[in-house]
Amino acid sequence: MNAHPDLSRRAFLGRLPVVTAGLAVPVAAVAETKGPHWAMLVDTRRCIACQACTIGCAVENALPEGDFRTVVATYAVRTPEGQTGLSVLPRLCNHCEEPPCIPVCPVGATYKRADGVVLVNGDRCVGCAYCVQACPYDARFINHKTGKADKCTFCSHRIETGLLPACVETCVGGARIFGDINDPETEISKRLKAAEGRTRVLKPEAGTQPRVFYIGLEDQLAGRVAGASATEMMWRPSHTGA
Amino acid sequence: MNTTAITEVLGFAREPGWLPWAVQYFFLIGISTMAFFLSLPGLLWQRAGWQDLARHALLAALVCGLAAPVALLADLHQPGRFLNFYLHTNFGSWMGWGAYFIPLYVVGLLAYTWSVLRANRAGLVFAALVAGVGAVLVLVYTGMETMIVAARPLWHSFLIPVFFAATALAGAFGMTAMFEALAGRREAKVLNGGLHFSQWAVLLVIAAWLVMALGGAAPYREALATIHGGWVAAWIWFIVSVAVTLWLARGASLLIPALFALHGAWLARWLVFMGGQSVPKLGSTHTAQTLSLTPDSLLGIIGTAGLCLFIYIVLTSLVRWDDSAHA
Repeated sequence: MNAHPDLSRRAFLGRLPVVTAGLAVPVAAVAETKGPHWAMLVDTRRCIACQACTIGCAVENALPEGDFRTVVATYAVRTPEGQTGLSVLPRLCNHCEEPPCIPVCPVGATYKRADGVVLVNGDRCVGCAYCVQACPYDARFINHKTGKADKCTFCSHRIETGLLPACVETCVGGARIFGDINDPETEISKRLKAAEGRTRVLKPEAGTQPRVFYIGLEDQLAGRVAGASATEMMWRPSHTGA
Repeated sequence: MNTTAITEVLGFAREPGWLPWAVQYFFLIGISTMAFFLSLPGLLWQRAGWQDLARHALLAALVCGLAAPVALLADLHQPGRFLNFYLHTNFGSWMGWGAYFIPLYVVGLLAYTWSVLRANRAGLVFAALVAGVGAVLVLVYTGMETMIVAARPLWHSFLIPVFFAATALAGAFGMTAMFEALAGRREAKVLNGGLHFSQWAVLLVIAAWLVMALGGAAPYREALATIHGGWVAAWIWFIVSVAVTLWLARGASLLIPALFALHGAWLARWLVFMGGQSVPKLGSTHTAQTLSLTPDSLLGIIGTAGLCLFIYIVLTSLVRWDDSAHA
């Protein structure tokens, strides 16, 4: 291919309509040409910890028994006054802007798409679990069935066909808002703007710039929680390895 | 909300991504590289006092060096895809580099062994150089790939590679001493001296880590705070066992301090890898670490030991490793 531009008069006249049309396109439309950047906003005040998202995700993505891409961690929080309330933390992959899982992968199986979704190339993954170690959010795991690294994909197979992720679709309280943050007219962009200064991300000190935002998230739930765990009530893996 | 107590009533714990196979790999490859270095004074530089033990140090390097890659392969959840390490290498990953350092070291070690057995002096120097470079690179990459994991506070310390190296050196002295004892040797001065040096180094690293943690350095303080339950007792036992090894190595006995040193080198990696992975990154549910009779657990550990025994039997059947006249 010739690297030099064609400077002939014929070529200039041929391209003139393109230049003039480009000048006529509104700024918003130019922004659209950047393409979408998918993100999620979780309004914890609307979450009732019903785990419909957990089940919806597991069914949609055919996860083996005991593996979860998303789950709603539920906490009993007792105030100094002796009142006990419920707090929740819906957990999933944060699709970070600076994902620590990508550089550690020895075979380059983990990558970030232009639309912001972090994915695993299942054909390349060797199941070394280095990405599982590097993720600050325990969002990754080794799928017992496939023996490969697994995580939330924002249901990329659904969003590519114009559908919402399964967890968003099944959320009965409308706590999960998913959309394109490059487009100011989307629900998520409007909600993020309305809640400016009141949204949070998990472990901001990790410097990963998550693209899953939270409203109503309590400080002490944003990382490792210094509290008791009702282990006898919890699911635990009954087997290890693939 | 100003809270007094939080209880996670519904949550989950991720199971360890790196299985006990990883502990076996780091244990074996560390001992192998350090045992290779122990063989150099006697075999390459012909230093008096080291020649008797040099061949058993080489035997230890071979036994562990040949078994280690098998354990590493078993730790992959898709071992059949190991070729992807070479077909799609990400050179930004320490593990990606490791895929090249391991064969460099093992091939160098085999060439070094061949040169020793064939008394090929010119080849010996070159092979020792290749294996030496490979061994250093293996020690560096195994330490670095653990150290850079910021998500695990216990691992995210520049002291981790030093800790691995110090405990590997203790394990190398231990395994060499064990092979010497099995061959009926009684000379313990150099080996027990080495055990003293390496165990003091281990204690020094732990002391430095504790000073950082108690001094308030962020990842160290967090790591100390997350050591919980039975892992506290295990760490205390580890430190006690190092002290016991030091005490035992004062005498003329070869085998008992050697076994304690090997136990310490293995336990150090179990504490770092399995203990480190038991701590949740979010929430408060710890991973319950249990050993079961499955290939990914107890059978894997026993199987690796069996593989080492098999390699030892094969090598000692084919070669006279206690023949110091040819050292």
